[in-house]
Amino acid sequence: MTDIPSPGQTAPADTRAATVHIPASPAQRALPLHRLLSQVWANDDGLWGQITAVSHTTLGLRFMATAFVFFAIGGILSMLIRAQLATPDGAFLDTELYNQIFTMHGSIMMFLFAIPMLEGLGIWLLPKMLGTRDMAFPRLTALGYWCYLFGGLIMLTALLFGVAPHDGWFMYTPLSSAEFSPGINADVWLLGVTFVEISAVAAAVEITVTILRQRAPGMRLMEMPLFAWYMLGTSAMMLVGFPPLIAGSVLLEIERAFDWPFFDPARGGDPLLWQHLFWLFGHPEVYIIFLPAAGVMSMMIPVLCRTTILGYGAIVAAILALVFLSFGLWVHHMFTVGIPHMALAFFSAASVLVAVPTAVQVFAWIGTMWKGHPQLHLPMYHILGFFLTFVMGGLTGVMLAIVPFNWQAHDTAFVTAHLHYVLIGGFVFPMMAAATYWMPLMTGKRRIKGLGEAAFWVILIGFHGTFFIMHLTGLMGMPRRIDVYPDNPEWIWLNLTSSIFSFVLTIGFALYALDLILQATLGKRESRDPWGAPTLDWAMPIPSPNYNFASLPTARHLGRDAGDIIVPLARGEGMLPGAPRGRREILVTSVGDATPDHVAMLPGNTALPLVLSSAICVFVLLMLASLYALAGLALLPVAALIWVWVRGMAPQGAMTPVEAAPGLHLPIHHRATTTLGQSGLMAFLVANGTLFSSLLFGLAFLSVVTPGPAAPPSAVSAAQVLPAFALLAAALVLALGAMGWRRAGAAWAGTALNLAALGAVLWLAVQLENPTAHTRDALRAVLTGYIGLHVLVAAGMSAFVADQYRRGEISPEVPGAWPSCNLWQRYTTAVTLITLAVVIAQGVIT
Amino acid sequence: MKWLGAVLIGPSLWFAVFLGVYGLHGLICGQWGAVDTGGRAALIAAWGLGIAAFLPVLRLLPAAPEHSIDLPRAGLWIGLGATVFTLFPVTITSSCG
Repeated sequence: MTDIPSPGQTAPADTRAATVHIPASPAQRALPLHRLLSQVWANDDGLWGQITAVSHTTLGLRFMATAFVFFAIGGILSMLIRAQLATPDGAFLDTELYNQIFTMHGSIMMFLFAIPMLEGLGIWLLPKMLGTRDMAFPRLTALGYWCYLFGGLIMLTALLFGVAPHDGWFMYTPLSSAEFSPGINADVWLLGVTFVEISAVAAAVEITVTILRQRAPGMRLMEMPLFAWYMLGTSAMMLVGFPPLIAGSVLLEIERAFDWPFFDPARGGDPLLWQHLFWLFGHPEVYIIFLPAAGVMSMMIPVLCRTTILGYGAIVAAILALVFLSFGLWVHHMFTVGIPHMALAFFSAASVLVAVPTAVQVFAWIGTMWKGHPQLHLPMYHILGFFLTFVMGGLTGVMLAIVPFNWQAHDTAFVTAHLHYVLIGGFVFPMMAAATYWMPLMTGKRRIKGLGEAAFWVILIGFHGTFFIMHLTGLMGMPRRIDVYPDNPEWIWLNLTSSIFSFVLTIGFALYALDLILQATLGKRESRDPWGAPTLDWAMPIPSPNYNFASLPTARHLGRDAGDIIVPLARGEGMLPGAPRGRREILVTSVGDATPDHVAMLPGNTALPLVLSSAICVFVLLMLASLYALAGLALLPVAALIWVWVRGMAPQGAMTPVEAAPGLHLPIHHRATTTLGQSGLMAFLVANGTLFSSLLFGLAFLSVVTPGPAAPPSAVSAAQVLPAFALLAAALVLALGAMGWRRAGAAWAGTALNLAALGAVLWLAVQLENPTAHTRDALRAVLTGYIGLHVLVAAGMSAFVADQYRRGEISPEVPGAWPSCNLWQRYTTAVTLITLAVVIAQGVIT
Repeated sequence: MKWLGAVLIGPSLWFAVFLGVYGLHGLICGQWGAVDTGGRAALIAAWGLGIAAFLPVLRLLPAAPEHSIDLPRAGLWIGLGATVFTLFPVTITSSCG
């Protein structure tokens, strides 16, 4: 593999400029540019400004700060666990509370700390690193934040009232089924986590689109910063990894709420279906967490070693391998459930194989350090902590990939030790390094020396003191999640030692937080580009303004030290200098070569994301209260707000082309062929398609593997349902045909045909047998609901286009919402036809 | 975008073959409760077909321009290696238990 140095250094700047011929804009005075941009891009004042902010800088920092608060809460819960386990007959917590606390500890650290932290980092850093001014969908960023916050608060509130989830962070059925978990505890997890996952899917969509469509002109894919590659891999994994969990959570919540038996073996279900769906998400989740951390490592190590990265291409190939292989490992969490030996061997081999691309990265980083001149700044301390800890965690991971060892160590403290080595080593240490590295860009302040180093040593000693010993405790047979161990005196000293060091670890984290707070409040002003980095994220004032760049970097600015291009960019010598039209403008480029395509105007500050997330929150709370009819009604304001949201994207002001650089006139996004919105919809449909595939996987799994009773003969004959099938298919195909006309009449026809299709779905639904009788019937009902929802949305989108015609917002040059409507209609038609084919082929309806 | 699609071919092929063989194995165990000679032959054939599917793609994939990283080809080799390694158990393990 060719060794490509860090981004921008592959080819000289003049070669790049030859790829993308963009003349420099004339230099202007920097201060007026800055004032104008600040006026357009700044948040509103005061508390209202915080509520209406959509800036990636504000929201990225807020994501990370909130995640850190949840990390602290999760950490406090871990102290309670360790206090309980310090002695064999711990009476500190009763069993029920202990169950809630370890469940919440895991759930908080996974869903409310790690994922939002990496989302926040990506949201905050990517636009700066790619040379743009914001994420692709600023309102979606804000919506994601509010959903995350509200979902997290629901879960925390449940803990305060003693009704928190108590079935483990993986919520295995039947323990989490209504029979064995009759309160709302499990519902809090299922609904709360799914609510939070809106944030994850939203972040994945916009990270994908931002990386693919908003890179600085000339920044080709194979030359973009490695962090962007890592985040692209992460977002792709999130798009494919989260939907199985969402599907599982929805099915389990439906089972709990309405007694539809997806996981009940007595009625054709199977608890293992939950495990498959959960770990289809859960194992990629580990890499979703690790990849961004590896991304920041790949950015920091070359800079701190005064060299370039070794093996850029090899690292990108390793990311590619990790992204895919991580989806072939999920069963290694289920080695003990009675899976056939051959299947065990497949997944064991895949689990061992994944160590190879991981090792490629580790050796690339070590090689980079070897060829450079490492400087022991504070981030480097944490990087070294990462190497020590993560490599040990990786090695125990390979041990656990071997089936016979896994059978011995399964569900013991050894696994607890392993996962903490991987997650704290592979995520927390790199994140601590990243925070200390980018703090000057966040705060504009220089750190106060001494405290950070002390915090690192306390954390390192506390961590290994706590968790290294836990390997031994596990090997001596101590199971996870027990609250007392009166009959096992051999575990006492090991547990006590772990507990003592865990408090040392907590003190270390507190010192670390104090160090950051002192830097943010008392630190002296830092100079620009303090690390001498060659990436765009440092080519801006510190702390970074909301708009990042007074003018956008082009090919000639890439691959140069940030310090050399700060002034030219600040003087407006890049593209789209200032904000002369008073709009938030960004440049949209092509996927491969990053050639300028069009100019997109981003929305300004708005409270709509907060209002919409509040409406969704009402729905979640009503579901929690088992007020299902009211919950259904609560979806009406959600739908209305989505309409208002989309209306906010209507064309406003002049739609003349924009001179992005001297002589380079680009259309605005209303006249573009493939907009950011369409790219975002495609990314969303990838996630949606995975959710649909998860449902089909459930259908196939339960049809082939389930040990439960076969479905009773259906009382519904083919003759009864075939007319509805035919009407549904015909209406959707005709609606798809209507999309090709691109006229007002076609939009109205599309609406009518989709409504007819919806009628066919309802006709089918009333003929369905009781979904509580057998899994077959429950799955048919769920698939019918899935199709019905999509047809309803398709009808709404067609009506929206018709409304755009009525308002005169669509013309031959301005396609309005037609392309998105068309894309949705195609998807809806495809999933409907697939479902009908599967149901007919399966012979479910006799 | 085409380039990105080409990058994904190799790993996607692996994933498809992996799921296909895993699904076939589940089907055989679910229907007959054991992997007999015929079942094993079917599994090995599926594995072999999966491996063979990489070969024409490797031949047809255009070479990357000089001095640039051939990520699509690297992706194919990753997929092929993963297909060989993760599914080789079809040749040696037998049990549905």
